[in-house]
Amino acid sequence: MTAPTLTKATGGAPAAPPAAAIPAAGTGQIPPPRATRRLASLIRAGARTAGRGIWASGAILLFLLLWEFGPTYLASASTRVFLPPLHEVLRALGSLIAKGQLQDHLAASLTRSAIGFGIAVVAAVALGLLVAWYRSLDRFLNPLLEVFRNTAALALLPVFTLLLGIGETSKISIVAYAAFFPVLLNTIAGVRTVDPLLIRAARSLGLSNFRLFQKVILPSAVPTIFTGIRMAGTSSILVLIAAEMVGAKAGLGYLIVNAQSSFLIPDMYAGILTVALLGLLVNYLLVAVERHFSRWRTAVGSQSN
Amino acid sequence: MTRGTGPTPKISLRNVGKEFTVRPSKEQPEGSTLTALEGITLDVAAGEFITLVGPSGSGKTTLLDLLAGLTRPDTGQVLVDGKEITGPGRDRAVVFQQYALFPWRTAAANVAFGLEGPGSDGRRLSRKERAEKAREYLDLVGLSGFEDRYPHELSGGMKQRVAIARSLAYEPDILLMDEPFAALDAQTREQLQEELLRIWRSTGKTIIFITHGIDEAVYLGQRVAVLSSRPGRLKQVVDIDLGDRSGDGDVRSDAVFVQHRHKVWSLLHEEVRKAQKAGHAKIRPDGSAPDEAPQLGKGQLSKGQLSKERAA
Repeated sequence: MTAPTLTKATGGAPAAPPAAAIPAAGTGQIPPPRATRRLASLIRAGARTAGRGIWASGAILLFLLLWEFGPTYLASASTRVFLPPLHEVLRALGSLIAKGQLQDHLAASLTRSAIGFGIAVVAAVALGLLVAWYRSLDRFLNPLLEVFRNTAALALLPVFTLLLGIGETSKISIVAYAAFFPVLLNTIAGVRTVDPLLIRAARSLGLSNFRLFQKVILPSAVPTIFTGIRMAGTSSILVLIAAEMVGAKAGLGYLIVNAQSSFLIPDMYAGILTVALLGLLVNYLLVAVERHFSRWRTAVGSQSN
Repeated sequence: MTRGTGPTPKISLRNVGKEFTVRPSKEQPEGSTLTALEGITLDVAAGEFITLVGPSGSGKTTLLDLLAGLTRPDTGQVLVDGKEITGPGRDRAVVFQQYALFPWRTAAANVAFGLEGPGSDGRRLSRKERAEKAREYLDLVGLSGFEDRYPHELSGGMKQRVAIARSLAYEPDILLMDEPFAALDAQTREQLQEELLRIWRSTGKTIIFITHGIDEAVYLGQRVAVLSSRPGRLKQVVDIDLGDRSGDGDVRSDAVFVQHRHKVWSLLHEEVRKAQKAGHAKIRPDGSAPDEAPQLGKGQLSKGQLSKERAA
């Protein structure tokens, strides 16, 4: 995949470095031979990374180019109204930021999803630990949890709106609901899959049930729990935007729908772009957190047996 | 059968028996019981190194669990220092075949695991004291400089060294070892056997060491206890006297060693044949044996698993 860019880059590296890769590296000085060689290899490495970077972002760039020029040159005039080129969207985004509107909507959405997400994580981890620990509770609750889990959160949106109104409560609740199940299921799975040998080892050291839980079961379940939290993060944003589209006075979902109905099409796309970037950012952060807590898991497979 | 050693032996097994209830299955709707151990009587003196051999399914691990206090005997008594065992305790430590290191803890943190919480005198060690001790015991097993490594960064032999250090760190009198070197390659195994002897000599622990290897049993043990095929009974205890083993010589090719080895081999061989004929296999942790009745699947973790077995 990277081969073509790579050969091109390394081949021309010392004499004529590819323009994009090394901006003005090594110009204006005459370094001794060894340093030259080191510089050359540095340049080559830089070119390789840059080449790889260009290749990796190629699809995105193509997409953005299509967005910019497609509407102007390919689409009919009526379509162009509903699909403005990228620069118009970015201009709309800029003016939304300048007017402080975007920040307000973003803050509204973030507050709701953070509160709902937080409630869900705390509740789901607590319940998950209980369910995993007490078998009878699991047998009792499991059928009901299965029913709720398989009911799409958005299908329940009208119910939340009817019971809790169109204010903050209903939105926070539906976010919490949507985020609850991934965390719950992963917590249960995490506790269940603790290596029984570790339990035996800890028991042989005379640990009480509580200490066993705190020192063995919980740490060993943490990576799995964080996988659930990451999944919950994605779904909480998804559900929140939908909820804000149905009935709200602020938030990114509201921004998108309101812009559409006010025929501010570039504003609408600016809202969508913000949602996409927010989703990426949240996922990136949660993946980083998850990785941090799972470091020890590398090669854990070779550890048993 | 046993030798009288001093007034109170360190460990005393008196007519110990253990049964497991096999869960009802399609073939056996009633369920059945499996006698893992029967009438085991054995005294172990303080500071003694005794090895335990027996065919598969003869209840070696069951016996170790009893000594560790992880299960209770159905008949007889297990005494340590003349007092009956009521559960796991800090006077005993277990070393498992699969190391059982906590993968999220570094080597030093693993060794310190048993030091967290109140010690035998009720005093809690500070973080610094624990780190100090962990370093000391890692040094004892020859792992200085590996304090900050995670288990997945260590070789099998190193992991087992960490596990041994963890067991020694909270200073138990008794070390219970369940085939600790079985998963290691021959060279590492031999090296660790020597180290274990060195540690045993310098610390004076009482060691009960389960093994499949006759060579290992004879090389390490002052006595070798041979268990019969299921139900496990004590077939014979063989005294091993290899003279001074601290030298560099090849003890294993010594005439005396070969003689002892042969004796244990003949005792064991008979039992292994019997066990094979009966198709015995290893007793599972949930108390069933694959050969006795088909099973429902791997026993899953639950809070009272060990105590439930006993109650059933």
